[in-house]
Formats: sequence, C-alpha cells, structure tokens
Amino acid sequence: MATETLKTPSGLRSKLRMEHVSKVFDRDGKSVPVLDDINLDVSEGEFICLVGPSGCGKSTLLNLTGGFLAPTSGSVTIDGQGVHGPDPRRILVFQERGVFPWLTVEGNIGFGLSKLSRVEREQRIAHYIQMVRLQGFEHTYPSDLSGGMKQRLQVARALAVNPDILFLDEPFGALDSVTRLIMRGELLRIWQTERRTIIFVTHDIDEAVQLADRVVVLSSRPAKIEDILTIDIAHPRNISSPRYLELRDELLRKIGLAYTV
Amino acid sequence: MSLKGKIALGIFGWLLLITGLHAYLNVNWAAVLNDYRPLDQRKITVAYLPVTCQLTCPVTDYISKYSLSGEMFLPKMFQGFPEIKEALISNRVQAAFVVAPLAIALVSQGVPIKVVYLGHRYGSAVVVRKDGPIKTFADMRGRTIAIPSRFSDERLLLFRAMKVYGIKPGEIKMVEMAPPDVSSALAAHAIDAFVMGEPFPSQAELGGFGRVLFQAREYWPDYMSCILVVRQDLIDKRPEVVQTLVDGIARSGLWLDTSKPHRENAADFVGRFYYNQKPALLRWALTKPMDRVTYSPLAPRKADFDMVRDLMIETGVLNKKIEFSDYTDTRFSDQASIQTPWRYEPGIATAR
Amino acid sequence: MNSLAKPAGWEKFFWPLLAAGLLLAVWYYSVVWTATKVFPSPLSVDKGLAGLLHKHVLWADIGDSLRRVGLGFGAAAIVGIPLGLTLGWYPALNQVVNPVLQFLRPISPIAWIPVAIVFFGVGDRPAVFLIFLSAFFPILVACVSGVSNVPAIFRRAGRNFGLSPAQILTRVVFPAALPQILIGLRIALGVAWLVVVAAEMIAVDSGLGYLVIDSRNSGKRYDLVVAAMLVIGLIGLALDLGFRSLEKIRSVRWGFRHES
Repeated sequence: MATETLKTPSGLRSKLRMEHVSKVFDRDGKSVPVLDDINLDVSEGEFICLVGPSGCGKSTLLNLTGGFLAPTSGSVTIDGQGVHGPDPRRILVFQERGVFPWLTVEGNIGFGLSKLSRVEREQRIAHYIQMVRLQGFEHTYPSDLSGGMKQRLQVARALAVNPDILFLDEPFGALDSVTRLIMRGELLRIWQTERRTIIFVTHDIDEAVQLADRVVVLSSRPAKIEDILTIDIAHPRNISSPRYLELRDELLRKIGLAYTV
Repeated sequence: MSLKGKIALGIFGWLLLITGLHAYLNVNWAAVLNDYRPLDQRKITVAYLPVTCQLTCPVTDYISKYSLSGEMFLPKMFQGFPEIKEALISNRVQAAFVVAPLAIALVSQGVPIKVVYLGHRYGSAVVVRKDGPIKTFADMRGRTIAIPSRFSDERLLLFRAMKVYGIKPGEIKMVEMAPPDVSSALAAHAIDAFVMGEPFPSQAELGGFGRVLFQAREYWPDYMSCILVVRQDLIDKRPEVVQTLVDGIARSGLWLDTSKPHRENAADFVGRFYYNQKPALLRWALTKPMDRVTYSPLAPRKADFDMVRDLMIETGVLNKKIEFSDYTDTRFSDQASIQTPWRYEPGIATAR
Repeated sequence: MNSLAKPAGWEKFFWPLLAAGLLLAVWYYSVVWTATKVFPSPLSVDKGLAGLLHKHVLWADIGDSLRRVGLGFGAAAIVGIPLGLTLGWYPALNQVVNPVLQFLRPISPIAWIPVAIVFFGVGDRPAVFLIFLSAFFPILVACVSGVSNVPAIFRRAGRNFGLSPAQILTRVVFPAALPQILIGLRIALGVAWLVVVAAEMIAVDSGLGYLVIDSRNSGKRYDLVVAAMLVIGLIGLALDLGFRSLEKIRSVRWGFRHES
C-alpha cells in the first residue's frame, strides 16, 4: 500500500484511517452485524471521542483499530500501513482492572520498557510518575491505590512506551463524578504536554464535549457513523460558556437522532 | 411433581435399591443373627487368611455343613495379620489362625490367648528367579530377600539356613513385603528371592519365572508355621466348643492327607467359595508334590515351640523367655489325637 | 460471631489450645469409660513418644518421611506446573489430554503399589513415586484452572505491549495465575503428606508412615501408632502454616482475601 501522506479535512497529516470497515460476529450460528461501513480519518495529534448508546459496538471498533480483531470487510490503516495485530505503538487503556496487581507502580509503568537500558528505564518511569502525579507511590501495589490512582497508573503505563495512538475505552466510567472531572483535567494536561493521537470512547456527552476536538456519533447496533461534530473551542474550555452549551445541545440532538433509528 | 420432589424420590429409591441389594448379596445373615443368640449358644468366629497352610479352616467349615451337627463355627476371612490381631484382642473373633512367632510375641505382650493346635506342617519355600544368578543358598550373600513379617517362621528358617552356610546376619538384606506383592517384585528384579508360604511359591512357579531353591523341610525338619490360637476366656467358659473345633480341624487334616482326589476337591471348593483364588493354583500347591504341605500330625509339641522361641530370642524379636505351658493348652490336642478323618467324598452330600 | 471479624493476637493461640485441651480430655475419658483394650489413652501415647525420642529414632523417622515427601512433591511441582501452564494455555491440547488425566486422578496411590514395585523396585524410590502421583494431580488442575481464569484483559495488555507468546506466558499469565497455583501447591503438599503412610508400606524401613504400619504389625504397640499419627498431624499443621505464610508475599497477596 502506498505510504502517501494523506491530508485530512483539517489539513493535518492523517494518522488513522478507516475505510468501509464492517464487522460481523458469528454467535451460535447466527451472524450479528456490529459495525456497518465505518469511514473515519483521524489526524495526528487529534483528540477524537466516540459517543453512542451502550452495546452499539464502540468497544468493538476500538478493538479493531487496536488490532485485536480483524474487520470482516474494509481496512484500517495507520500511517498508511494496514493494521494486522496489536502493537506497542497503539496502546489500549481499559477500566481500572487493567493494571497488573502483582507489580508495583514502578513495575507496571516499566512493564513495556524491558528493551531499554536500566538507566533509561528508570528515567522514563520517574518522568511518567511525575506526569501522572503519583510521586511517593513508586513501591505501592495497586491493591492499595484508589480507583483514580489506578487509572492514572494505567495511563502512565501506556504513555511510557511512547505510543503514537492511545485508545481509551470508557476509562473513567467506574469513578465518581468528582474524580472524573479531575481525571479529565489531568488527561488534557498530559495530552497537551506530550501530544499524541487519542481516541476516547465514552457515553457521557459532557465528557465528549469537554475533551474532544471532534466527536464521532455512532448509532445503535449495527453501528454507523451518524455524524461528526467538530468542537472548535480552545482549551481550557469553560463549561458554562454559550458556545460550549450550544455544542452540547447540538450533540444531544444528534444523538437523539441516532437513537430513533 | 416438583423438581425437589423428584430428586427426593430419586434419592429415596436409590437408597432402597442399594440397601436391598446389599442385604441380598453382601450381608452374611448367619453371622448377623449369630450375634443375637444367647452367649452359650453362640457360634464362635474363627479368623483365617487365604493361604494354603490354613486350609483346614475352610475345609472344616465346608464339610461340617454337610454333617449332622451342622456348621461348626463361623469362618471370617481377613487379609492380614494386624487385622486378625486386633479382632482377637477386642473379641470380635474368638479363635484365629496365626503364625507361631506372632502368637508367642502376643502372649509375651499380655494378650490372653492360648495355642491349641497347629495348622499344617511344611508349606514354605525359598524361591529365586528361574534364570537368575542364584544357584545355591551361598549365592544369597549380599542379595535382597522378601519375608512376610519379622514375626514369621520364614525368617527364622532363613537364619537356620544361614547358620549352615556360615552367612552372618548382616550379609543378606531382608525386606518385609506383603505376600501378594512378591511374585511381581521377583519378576521385575526388585528383589532377588522371597521366602513365603504357599500358594505364593507355586504362583511364581506357575508364572514361569520362579524356581524353588529349597523347601522348608531341608533346613527345618518338622517345620510348622500357622497355628490355631483361642482366647483364654473361651477356653475357660466353653471348653467343649474348643474341643469340637480342634476335633474338626484334626479330622480335616487327616482327610486332606488321605488321598489326592480329596486334595483336588478341596482345591476346588476352597478356591471358589473361600479364598477366591484359582483352583488350578491351589491344586498345584496341594498336589505337586503331595508332601509340599501336610496336615498331620498337628498336635503342638514342646520341642518345636521351644526352638521357635529360642530362635526368636536369638534373632532379636523376643526378649522374654516364656515357657511352653504358659501359652499352650494341650488338653484339646490330646483328646483330638483319637480322631479319624471325615467320611466325606466329593459329590456325596453327607459327611460323618 | 461476625464472619468478618479477625481474631485478636492472643486469641489466635488461646482458642486453638483450648480446643486441643478439650479434645485430649474427651480422648482420655472415652478410653477410660469404654475400657477398650486396643485404643491407647493419651498417657500411654505420651510414654510411647518419650520412648521413641529416647531411642533417637523419632528424628530419623521424621527426617526420612520429610525427605521422601520433599522429593515427591518437588518432582510433582517441577513436572506439574509447566505442564499445567501449557495445558491451560492451549485449550485444544487440554481437551485431548484432560480425559486421560481425569481417568488417572481418582486411582488411589495404594492401588499403584504393585505398579510402583514393578517399575521402581523396593525401598525409597517407589515411595517417592507414590507421593509424586498424589501431589501431581492437584498441582496440575490448579495450574490449568489458574491459567484459564486469568482475565483476558491481562493477556490483551501483554499482546498490546508487544510481548511474544512465550513472554506473555512468563510475564503475565504466570504471575496472574500464581495465587491459584499456590493454593494448588498447598493442597498438594497436604495430600502428599497424607499419602506418606500409604507410600511407606512398600518395604521401607524408616519413616513416620512406616512407624504407624510397623507398630501395628508388631504386636500390641498401638500407643506408638497413635504417637506416630500425632506427629504426622503436627508436622502437617506446621507445613500448612508455613505455606500460608508464603501467601503473604506482596506479589501474590493480591490474590487472597485481606482487609480492604
């Protein structure tokens, strides 16, 4: 496949491209279509949110782009190359059960860094511990951390291997609303420090409007891209500003549309 | 019916079925009902092992069933001496066939029993591998031999043979093994020889890999091993029952020694109904040759037992020099010496 | 009693000791009241134990039994853990091998004695083999189930970070399954120690199991039988407690219940 640098609508280099991606599952002899003709272009450094009703296939889409599943038809390309399997250049972050409970904070963050020299590894670990504000907990085990801290640890672990793309699958879903607000701020701060392409799945509309550059609205199963909303407010976003509320209303309307299929 | 009801019914039906089957197939009603009879009419229980030297026990039981007075006692088969020992001590059996050194050891430890009769003469042999390196007993130096127990005449027999060849006690390695295991152990080269009572030497011979090195009589004329012991309280309270028992054993012994057809018949009914061993194996042990095991004379003699006792002290399994009269009661064998063999022929359903 | 309540420090020793004392009293009085001629009373067992210690044979017996159990259990762990990990990792292979294993598992070690004699002779080796057999199956089953219970999320994370299948097995699956493997090892050790009496029936001449069988065979020494049983029980308890302390190690502690 030609490695041309494609340009996305925003004019930036295309990082992730999905063309006519469909996915059908075979369950008990019945074929269940989950994704139907998804077409999406994500530019480098963009923050994309995928929003849709539960069970619509958001996680399936994420797994496809991560390389854990293969599409039934269509293709997923990253940097022009086809995605054929999981790769440390694109890391998935799950809900809090994803951290390894038998390793300390240090051990978790250093998990993907075995190919580095000891000095480099220690430097990286210290850097990311600082970035997610877990100083002082280097030798703590996850069982002694709170939910928010475990999520920060997962993000740190994901970032430590310097991935191009970060996929987050409802990572703040199990946290209380105050922690969620704090974590959103933290994520944005980290994203602005070390810019990477982020694809963030959520069913919380506020979260999508607060975080994303563009919000992709998915319909219920079989999921199609109903609409893509561009959030043109600069960070930090004031969640009481009129533009924010306008965009939020628009998103609500678009989702309402999707629900009535 | 609800599911719970069905399950309950199923469980109940299953319990009923297995209880019924058990009562029909397994329960020895004679023994169970015997426990409820008044004490002076109760039949005694006699314990035995499925070995050829205790053949007189099942033979007596079988033949006495055809006699006028009916079954004499309730035989109970055990699989090992420890169980017999415990049953004797706790009065679950009143008489038992055990080996002489074990009886002497038990008496020296204070168990209230008395030896009243012997079970047999001869019947033990040393067996080696047919194509093995041991050609004479002198070759046993440095080898491993299996014995049934340290309280066995077989062990004492080995020491007698060793004295003849000048072999010192440490030079042969003796391991205690359960008799059923020795044949395969010999074939698998785990041991170099074994000394056991019949039918285990015959088993090795018939299996094609064993060769009898020598029979017990070669180093121990008048060899005796299994004996009949009876609880002291039975002797005190019901001596006539003990006498009947000894008489019956004596007559069976004489009957077995009368002719070959008697032995073949015994091999058949003992193998099938009592020991659960192949009749062919028992036939071989009893008839090839006819004097491999003999069942008379069976009266206990002081000289025999004193020798066993002295050998036990010498080889370290006994530390009290107890007297023959302490553990034997010869009244019964004296009376039994006038007995004649049973008048029972195979195929004829009466005995006298 | 609150099911979540943990006993206080002094209580951890007091209640078990009290229970033991009560059991001893029950034992003593039942022997006296039933006037049994076979079962010994605690006092005669005590005397028997003292006699054994006096003759210096008890420590040798304990050492021999522990050695055989150590060898058998160790061999079972060395063979069983990798095999269990492999079978858990490849379910297709497990489907093929599992029926054979489940067929062999219920066969009691005592039934294996003749086979053990044929293959290993007499003495130490068949005893170690029997102990190996008894410990092997619990370890295997625990490993297989431990591997299959590792959440898929961990395996996916391993793949995500670019680990090869072998690395995933050693760096993700094995540590994740380790709590269950430890439970399997603890159970297997208990079974191995239990089987030592049966294993020492095969023409050995030392050991605690041998002491039980031998004391029974050689006449009326039931006090030694019960003394040996007591020693076996105490050592089993010590082994179990020792193993439980392994569960407190931090890198596996997450797998066991603790106050949150």
